[in-house]
Amino acid sequence: MIILTGEFAMPQSIALNINGSSQTVDVEPHSMLLYALRDNLGLHGPKFGCGLAECGACTVVLDGNAIRSCMTPVSAVGNSKIVTLEGLGTIENPHRLQKAFIEEQAAQCGYCINGMIMAASALLDQKPHPSRDDIKQALDGNLCRCGTHMRIVRAIERAAGQGA
Amino acid sequence: MSKYQTNISDVARVGRRGLLQASGGLVIAFSLFGANSATAASAASDTASTSVTPPPAGRLYAWLAVHPDNTVTLFTGKVETGTGVQTALAQFAAEELDFPIERLNVVMGTTSETVDQGPSYGSRTVRYAGPQIRHAAAAGRQALLDLAAAHFGVSANQLATNGGTISVIGAPDQTITYGKLVDGKRLNMEIGASGERFNMVVAPAVQTKDPSTYTVVGKSVPRKDIPGKMTGQFTYVQDVRVPGMLHGRVVRPYGVGSTLLSVDETGLKDIPGFVQVVRRDNFLGVVAETEWGAIQAAAKLGSTLNPSGPDAAPAKWSNWDGLPPMDQIWETVRHTAAGKNAAAANRGSVDMALGYASRTLKATYKTPFQMHGSIGPSCAIADVQGDRATFWSCTQMPHQTLRDMSKMLGMPLEKMELRWFEGAGAYGRNGFDHVVADAAVMSQAVGRPVRVQWMRWDEHGWEPKGPPIVQDLLGALDSNGQVIAWRHHMWIPTTSDTHLIAAALIGEPDVTGQTGLGQPAVVYKYNFPNADVACHGEGRVALLTAWLRSPAQFETTFAMESFIDELAAAAGQDPLAFRLAHVSDPRGIDVLRAAAQEYRWESRPATGKRPQANSKPAHGRGVAWVNRDDARVATIADVTVDPASGEIKVGRVVVAHDCGLVVNPDGLRNQVEGNVIQSLSRTLREEVTFDRAHVTSRDWQGYPILRFSEIPDRIDVVLVNNTPKYPSYGAGEPSTNPTAAAIGNAVFDAIGVRLRQTPFRPDRVKSAMS
Repeated sequence: MIILTGEFAMPQSIALNINGSSQTVDVEPHSMLLYALRDNLGLHGPKFGCGLAECGACTVVLDGNAIRSCMTPVSAVGNSKIVTLEGLGTIENPHRLQKAFIEEQAAQCGYCINGMIMAASALLDQKPHPSRDDIKQALDGNLCRCGTHMRIVRAIERAAGQGA
Repeated sequence: MSKYQTNISDVARVGRRGLLQASGGLVIAFSLFGANSATAASAASDTASTSVTPPPAGRLYAWLAVHPDNTVTLFTGKVETGTGVQTALAQFAAEELDFPIERLNVVMGTTSETVDQGPSYGSRTVRYAGPQIRHAAAAGRQALLDLAAAHFGVSANQLATNGGTISVIGAPDQTITYGKLVDGKRLNMEIGASGERFNMVVAPAVQTKDPSTYTVVGKSVPRKDIPGKMTGQFTYVQDVRVPGMLHGRVVRPYGVGSTLLSVDETGLKDIPGFVQVVRRDNFLGVVAETEWGAIQAAAKLGSTLNPSGPDAAPAKWSNWDGLPPMDQIWETVRHTAAGKNAAAANRGSVDMALGYASRTLKATYKTPFQMHGSIGPSCAIADVQGDRATFWSCTQMPHQTLRDMSKMLGMPLEKMELRWFEGAGAYGRNGFDHVVADAAVMSQAVGRPVRVQWMRWDEHGWEPKGPPIVQDLLGALDSNGQVIAWRHHMWIPTTSDTHLIAAALIGEPDVTGQTGLGQPAVVYKYNFPNADVACHGEGRVALLTAWLRSPAQFETTFAMESFIDELAAAAGQDPLAFRLAHVSDPRGIDVLRAAAQEYRWESRPATGKRPQANSKPAHGRGVAWVNRDDARVATIADVTVDPASGEIKVGRVVVAHDCGLVVNPDGLRNQVEGNVIQSLSRTLREEVTFDRAHVTSRDWQGYPILRFSEIPDRIDVVLVNNTPKYPSYGAGEPSTNPTAAAIGNAVFDAIGVRLRQTPFRPDRVKSAMS
């Protein structure tokens, strides 16, 4: 549970590639990406859940891989391309995963769903037609407390069926 | 003629223009669209110029606003906690108002805009708030008809409502939308209201629809909140930002009862954005311009608990080790003398009946502290300024929380407002109210709005828990295998302790809140001739405890429905037939039969054969049911138990669910699936650990919950007695209850081992086998 870095550097201007555009944030280099996304850039998709990379609520996709933004220092991001839930789609123009989650009504409180969709997005990019076990394995590090798992799996299967 | 009808006839007689000009009278049907408009619901508007007291429940505008673009806002003091009640309540309103649900928005919880309809807990929202909103909306439709009657110069019975418009019957060119009719004004009609909260009666005189004509209630309307939640466009309380806001973090005591000895602030100023330490008696917090700065400062002071002890971090706490040893918690509960005995059932004489028993069984069931485990830690913003205060909170009881803050801050309620935003699912009283108090203390100290979010270790460590419970059971069979005596004694610490953590830390523990007593959380529905079901209800034992989904009834159902199975096995009978032979509750029988039919239950006694440790995985099935606040649920589960590892894998789960008339079938199925998975998690995995000083399960590794790889293969939900013959009972938690017993009974069927202590971890299964 160690989060104390012990060193305190002054904020710097750091350029990040977020959802296809370059954004500059003034943050301490070793502060975590999650807070830059939420507090500096005003994004609501990635959530604070644990700060320990244990629950997945903060998941974003970095260069095609689902990562935990709560334990990723801003200084480690460099030129990598970051996609957040907002970068996938909107209510008016949803990504096929977002559309499938809505169609399956695959949420209760919905707080974890950012992580579910982002993890699924990385999975489908790497494996367009995953088996049910593939899906469960890809999401096994993402916690849902409301117990929406059955619908989440169905939604990802639905989105995968509509892909290809 | 009621007051309500009189007012409406005033409208019809005087007409719209006359009413607009009227002023100063007791009843003015219209006034300018005022403080209680939907547009006032924005996060950061200035409250100084507008009233912050709740609207009067007897006025229509307290419930409904009709806007010029022909949209409608429903106002309710109830809140969404992830269960879908926002959409369900919208369905009640849309149904009675004859208005398209897509154009009906819901404002929830904000104290200046809503009536206190009681907290959103106990599966009570649809059951109690549903009828209140049904009546308010029916009164709204009647008021609109009367306005249209004046507008068209016809009588109201010559008019018809349809999808947000009103037409003169037989003259389709004479049609007006609700929005045009109301023309942006506030619906100030008196509709009548009496009583408070759950018991409030709204618009009692109005005629509501015949349920058999419903077109919106009973339909699987898609949830209103889901599209925004799927796209990052939804604003949770964690997303709210207020101008001038600072970030706060708490530093909790090292031991639950530790006192703060000293705080060494050396080095805190080096943290970018750090503002100040907030110290008040044993309350310790930090405030910073940035979230990261606050996190760093709290960690530096020792918020993550230094393993070297209470005086190892810059914030030094007294050495406190007042918690009982964890392995003795049930003895502690059993021997807590303070409390009160309450009987849940008392029939015949168990002691006399034992003299006629051919077989007597005894067993003790134990369940641990468990936690709500919200995925989103508690978060709130407080802005305490002199003699007024504003809060942004996801509490499940906005109006009550504001009253608590009024007491804690010694501030008049009329100067305070709580703006409600949804949080992550809470499943009961977790830290969501406590963090409001934390933010209040910090904002009061720094004179600026402060947003406090608990860190994961704060949440796991300090959220109120569900209490540990110990239960003794005794049952006697006669020579025919009939139960002739049943005794169920339970020791239950409080599930309703509402004292605030921050209030205790600032040295005012009793400024608000009550400890409460554990209640006999069981609805005894068996018809045994001799029965003695009683509870020793206790106050706080070891840790702060409050309601956690189906408070204590999850645990009592585990014991009751497992022990019934023990008796059935002892009698050599099929466990379903054995229950049916001892139940006369018709709806209980309905759900048991419906579950059995869906599952294709074949009658046979439990196998109960103990395998060798190295033998192949064994299959079993188990059944259990519950009566929870007038809902009935029967659950049947299939398990596979691996004797080598002790691992339990859940295959198919069948749930027969009777909560009366279903408002939203898909929403209900979503709830039932969630209850099943969450209660499986509590059955198989969850136990709060602690040492003598504090909770030690302070993250998800220390408190594992069910993962995707562990979910059942299938959950089949059968809706029973979904008919207007019955009102809509609550469904937020009943289906949590039977799970632990259904799984335990299935494990017995599979491997002949009776599990009497949750969670059923593999090590417990293995040690039970040996």
